[in-house]
Amino acid sequence: MIYAGIDAGSRAIKVVLINGRDRRVMGSGIADQGLKQEALASRLFDRVLKRAGVRRRGIRRIVATGWGRDAVTFADTTITEITCQACGVYREQGDAKTVVDIGGQDSKLIRLDTGGKVRDFVMSDRCAAGTGRFLEVVAARLEVPLGSLGELAGLATKPSAINSMCVVFAETEIIGLLASGEKPANIAAGVQASVSARIASMAGRNISEPVVFTGGVALVSGMTQALESALGYPVRVASRAQLTGALGAAILASRPE
Amino acid sequence: MNKQGKKKNASSAGARARGQSNQRPSSCCGKVRPASGVDAGPLAWFNDMVDHCLDYAAAQKKQGKHIVGLTCEYTPRELILAAGGIPVCLCGGDEGMIPAAEEFLPSNLCPLIKSTFGYSVRKENPFLELAELVITETTCDGKKKMYELMAGNRRMYVLELTQKPDDPDALAHWIAELRKLGGVLAEQFGVRITAGKIRDAIALMNRERTLRRALAELMKAEAPPLTGCELLNMKSIIAGIPADLEQYAKALRVLPGRKLDPPASERIRVLLTGVPMPHGAERVIKIIENNGGLVVCQENCTGIKPILEDVDAGAGDLMLALAEKYFHLPCSVMTPNRRRLDLLRRLVAEYRPQCIVEVIWQACLTYDVESFFVRRLAEEELGRPYLRIETDYSPSDSARIGMRIQALFETIKEHRTK
Repeated sequence: MIYAGIDAGSRAIKVVLINGRDRRVMGSGIADQGLKQEALASRLFDRVLKRAGVRRRGIRRIVATGWGRDAVTFADTTITEITCQACGVYREQGDAKTVVDIGGQDSKLIRLDTGGKVRDFVMSDRCAAGTGRFLEVVAARLEVPLGSLGELAGLATKPSAINSMCVVFAETEIIGLLASGEKPANIAAGVQASVSARIASMAGRNISEPVVFTGGVALVSGMTQALESALGYPVRVASRAQLTGALGAAILASRPE
Repeated sequence: MNKQGKKKNASSAGARARGQSNQRPSSCCGKVRPASGVDAGPLAWFNDMVDHCLDYAAAQKKQGKHIVGLTCEYTPRELILAAGGIPVCLCGGDEGMIPAAEEFLPSNLCPLIKSTFGYSVRKENPFLELAELVITETTCDGKKKMYELMAGNRRMYVLELTQKPDDPDALAHWIAELRKLGGVLAEQFGVRITAGKIRDAIALMNRERTLRRALAELMKAEAPPLTGCELLNMKSIIAGIPADLEQYAKALRVLPGRKLDPPASERIRVLLTGVPMPHGAERVIKIIENNGGLVVCQENCTGIKPILEDVDAGAGDLMLALAEKYFHLPCSVMTPNRRRLDLLRRLVAEYRPQCIVEVIWQACLTYDVESFFVRRLAEEELGRPYLRIETDYSPSDSARIGMRIQALFETIKEHRTK
């Protein structure tokens, strides 16, 4: 039996197929999120199925998660990304105690119990501070691709102090820094530090090792180091860091109801 | 006290028309409906709560009673009633009033304060327009300073609420404040506030509190006969309306045994704590109950907090008896506010919630900071999962709040199946 997890995030859609017998990953895919959420998810799903050589009716059960989970109407049920992330990370790194997930529009910190169950979680509130969207805005302002933000930050001599936690104000602050002649490298490093500091304050003192980093932002160079120095703990980037939510959804789909 | 600018009262007809356009009672819990055919009369009665209050206020005014606004549960309604006043809660729950308030107040202020003030600016709360006096307290800084602006064109009296709950000097000062208030009411309305009138008012308020408490206690059942939304909906903004008390008594007769759909056994029992949810601002409790929760206890000022303690109508010193009851309210403006933690311990034991959800209005500093102690109590001492939701009146984060509630419930169910 084959099971599917679809993580319809704010910036990207992720699909994972697993084999129910051994829960091995049989296929996966990532596509940009957009206006026609259902159609985009469906198209990606078909692509992943085709690559894996599986037909839709060969899929026993589909679980959707992520912000757009309710738009995935062909899913059998929905489960929140908190539960799915925990499950997916547990499958990838069984000893994980804390998950830091930074996605497109929010950040979460999940503490795990034994067996990949959620012990508790905290999430960023209303604004886009400390999220992938925030980094995107900054990268665009500094005219570097998001993926190169870390390389740029690596050249910093003295990271700028970015105090604004609001993505709109931070952009204004960055414009001010650029106008005053600050080096883009220092700004990039300052922004990464401020995003990480935001996560650290959200965590309070509730960090247990090992800390595993997931979500699209885990793939942005330099973020792991920035997070390590803010948290004061080593941070591991999850294997398949962008797919752990979808993986967790697929595993949960395979569980007897 | 500001005596200037006593306003001409709006005609009740005009006030009523405005009331109907701006203060429509919100129907609670769209998705959740009672299943059984038991008489739901009392629940339906309170769907028209604002209209009833408007009718009552207009009728009472005609009979020479005085409409008196209040904005906080520390105000002793008994004193207002004893002075021939009709106490009306003015706390704003309408998001639409906020832009008008922000012309004067900082945007980074609690929505309850802004909405209340916005009604004042726009003159759209018919009860405020009918009110001859507004009684307030020095509770949080935001309210306290807002009242200074409101006093520009409203007749207001500010009670100084002392904030060290265990200090005998603080209580003594609070008693003196209530005595002064008695004098102010007597002078303004040209009445003598006799011990007999205070006793009658205490008896009326005790009766109301007893009935509302008994209703809240129905939620202790394994299968509560109503939802938290429905219970919240049964709160009137005017205290002591005889028809309301009749409906409470009727509710206590007809509600037990009523079945909810989905049944209580399939829902997660939630204790709600934190800020009050004034009429119109019930969004979070709806989100909780529409996502599989059942709010069995509301430890806040629109819930059980102000109705737990009665006043001894037979007390020798009635002012002391009143002062003590109100001074015991465990609001986060008190320091330290141990009584709230004790109350939470008791309510968790009595109502058996599976989790504690705290709602904090954005920029409500006292509840925000105090949430540290509530979380610690919940997680470390009571062993209950705790979720803190900071929000305002705008629905823009409803999906995010819903997701967090769902995740909390998933976690609880997951641990139950361990």
